[in-house]
Amino acid sequence: MIQNKLSFHQSSASLEIIGLPDYSNNENKDQISIISQWNLTIVDKPLIEGKLEHLRSIMDAFYIYSNLLIKNEIPIYKSKLIDIKADNLHIHNIVLKSSKPNVKPLVFNIGNSLLSDIINCFDQLNESPKVRIKKTDILTNIPKKLRFGLNKKVKYFNFFIPPFFAICSLILFSSSFIYFFSPLENIEKKELINPE
Amino acid sequence: MRKSYVNNNIKINEFDALIRITVEMSKYLYPYIREILKSKEDIEENSFIWNDFNKRFIELIKERFNIDSMKVKKLLNQAENDEIIIKSLLILSFCISNQGYQKLKNFLYDF
Repeated sequence: MIQNKLSFHQSSASLEIIGLPDYSNNENKDQISIISQWNLTIVDKPLIEGKLEHLRSIMDAFYIYSNLLIKNEIPIYKSKLIDIKADNLHIHNIVLKSSKPNVKPLVFNIGNSLLSDIINCFDQLNESPKVRIKKTDILTNIPKKLRFGLNKKVKYFNFFIPPFFAICSLILFSSSFIYFFSPLENIEKKELINPE
Repeated sequence: MRKSYVNNNIKINEFDALIRITVEMSKYLYPYIREILKSKEDIEENSFIWNDFNKRFIELIKERFNIDSMKVKKLLNQAENDEIIIKSLLILSFCISNQGYQKLKNFLYDF
């Protein structure tokens, strides 16, 4: 049976997915749901290939690492299959560990430009309607901070402050005109009415 | 931070619109963003792209931002602004996909 092949390119990186459609689900013949093989080609770097579960682990690793890098947290990702850490702000060190015994890990460095190329290749794969793969939802989760976002919040402070100031100024202003009851003045008035 | 005497808060729909414009511009400018990032990686061989970008970035900040603000002073300080510029460029380069709008929004809320 002829296998389908799909490629996703971004500048110096290229991701190739090989597999078959799931005919039991009545899928089109150009669809890929059963991934049998994949490979990631990066210019001047070794070829990375593996099985479907390796692809998922590597994709998760790159997404989590890129998030850590941007969120000012310590950019280190470690797993059974892949380790990524930042050598400095521009260079990222990648260690790919083989699942086969007695195979030395593959170590290489990539810069920010290659890192963004790889992330964009993975984004294209995630968004492709022709490949059915468990979507990485690391970046689609809406952060908690969204709840307190921008102008959506009701500004109770601004709502209550103007009437509060209005009432205060009214009290202060009107207090100067309060008529105080003076008993002396009252006696004088009575004397004027009854001069005796 | 901007040179303005009016302190208006941005509305949610204006914020969304700005994100959409930024994502579309990033898609279009990705090759340039990539070259600037690459230039910083091997600064000894290819420094002029980074230097030109940095010079223009500082010019624009001086022109449009309130340079008396401490945050803006930090942006203008060449020893400190590398990290801010690189992270900003990385965020833009990660958001050029079709879901870039949602990604950039999440990045900004988390920044």
